[in-house]
Amino acid sequence: MAILIYGTINSVALALMALGFALVYGISRVPNFAHGALYVITGFIAWSLLRTLGLNYFLSIVLAIIAIGVVGALMYQFVLIRVRGMAISEIIASYAIGLAILEGLRWGGFKGSTYTLPVFIEGSINIGDIPVDLHRILVVGIGVAVVIFLWLFTHYTRIGLALRGMAQDERAALMLGIDSDVMAVVAMASGAMLAGLAGIVLLPLGNIVVEKGYDVLIQAIAVCIVGGLGSWMGAVLAAFLIGFAQILTVVYLGAHFQMVVALLAIILTLILRPSGLFGRQKELEERV
Amino acid sequence: MLEATDLMVFYENMLALNNVSIKCEDKQIVGVFGANSAGKSTLMYTVSGIMEDIRKKEEMAGGERITVLGQIRFLGRDITDLKPSKRAREGIILCPERRRIFPECSVMENLRIGAYLASPSQAKDTLEYVFNVYPALEKLKKRVGGFLSGGEQQMLAIGRALMAQPKLLLLDEPLLGLSPLIQSIMVRSTKEIRNEKGISIIVTEQYARPVLPIVDYAFILENGAAVLEGPRDEVLNNPDVRSAYFGVS
Repeated sequence: MAILIYGTINSVALALMALGFALVYGISRVPNFAHGALYVITGFIAWSLLRTLGLNYFLSIVLAIIAIGVVGALMYQFVLIRVRGMAISEIIASYAIGLAILEGLRWGGFKGSTYTLPVFIEGSINIGDIPVDLHRILVVGIGVAVVIFLWLFTHYTRIGLALRGMAQDERAALMLGIDSDVMAVVAMASGAMLAGLAGIVLLPLGNIVVEKGYDVLIQAIAVCIVGGLGSWMGAVLAAFLIGFAQILTVVYLGAHFQMVVALLAIILTLILRPSGLFGRQKELEERV
Repeated sequence: MLEATDLMVFYENMLALNNVSIKCEDKQIVGVFGANSAGKSTLMYTVSGIMEDIRKKEEMAGGERITVLGQIRFLGRDITDLKPSKRAREGIILCPERRRIFPECSVMENLRIGAYLASPSQAKDTLEYVFNVYPALEKLKKRVGGFLSGGEQQMLAIGRALMAQPKLLLLDEPLLGLSPLIQSIMVRSTKEIRNEKGISIIVTEQYARPVLPIVDYAFILENGAAVLEGPRDEVLNNPDVRSAYFGVS
């Protein structure tokens, strides 16, 4: 029972971490290696607004997420647009931005265990006989809401459909008047906002530390590779696989093996099924 | 309506289009015929502006250096420097070679992505029209694009292009790889679209025979140059064309 509950919570947390990465890669084929940095810096922005400026908690969260969306858009507009289409350069450029953000934060004195965000709701309830704090339950709720929202957005709105079209065939989308650069900015901004949202939701469970940025990036990449790069439904499924595998590892092998699971998952996927669980685009292409 | 003059396109030093000028009057169907690698697709990409996107991508990746020269006027306006998405907004929509439908989206979603430039009421009307022209598509609404047959994909590709509210529709080899039966459906529907919607159409094909009957004016491309042009009957009765493109000597 405990495994089921904490496995679910852990899986949803992983899905939240990975969705932003999956979205950006799926649409504009930019592997956003600054993902983890965006996750962490949103926490620090919210913390600063809350503690230094003394704003209301909810308002700080909204402002922080909007700010990170702008950062994402600027990142694309001024840096990534120049190396568009060159995978290695995209990785180097975005990783450099990520490093600059994270190490800049460390240099600016944001380190140690003094930085924490308050949980959204205090208290805990018992499910069966296992105590679960309310914030963790809220994480699951928000995760589910985000997935539903994304699904509706990409299936029923004009922009969402255009994003999906561009993800499948950028040039064909261009022929229909869908401007790929504008769409990539939209994708990057929403990806950054998803990273920020994940940070805001998950960081209250621990301290805000710079190292989390690297950690989150690895987890997100692991989930996306197992799920099939670019397929965000695959990413959700992979998050559950890795999420439960991690909890099982913690219970039966020990907590310090947790990180190994993600790395092992990357290696195993690349050996056994390089296109990931949901990398089915190739299959379709062969048919046509 | 469309007037492209002295188009020259170089891939590195290879001349893909050599001083080609084409014209399409309002509500005309213009045919562009030529063998493989005669420059038909290059011409379509240049007119729709997609060539600009190809050029940029090649330049970034350090690939082929592509040079485009010439002038393109559309509805009395110079659009030579307009981005492809802006040209689509002006009403030039390309329905590309090999169809390029979105393989993971359903037929309905493909059409709705096509309606990106359309207003909701335009989208609704055009959707009805597309199902009217291609009744086969309506039955396949929920089918995923990648699992359609070639003919169904071609219908979807033209339907999707119509959703973008074209004033000038560029059809690049719409009959490629289709059975004679489907070919005749495609040819008939092309004429229908022009007659009912008043859309000007430029269609390219390797073999002139199936398309020539519906064409008002034709160009023949050879090795990147327009070697012959004229009204349909004139081209039809030209002895050189008869031997080269109809297999009649």
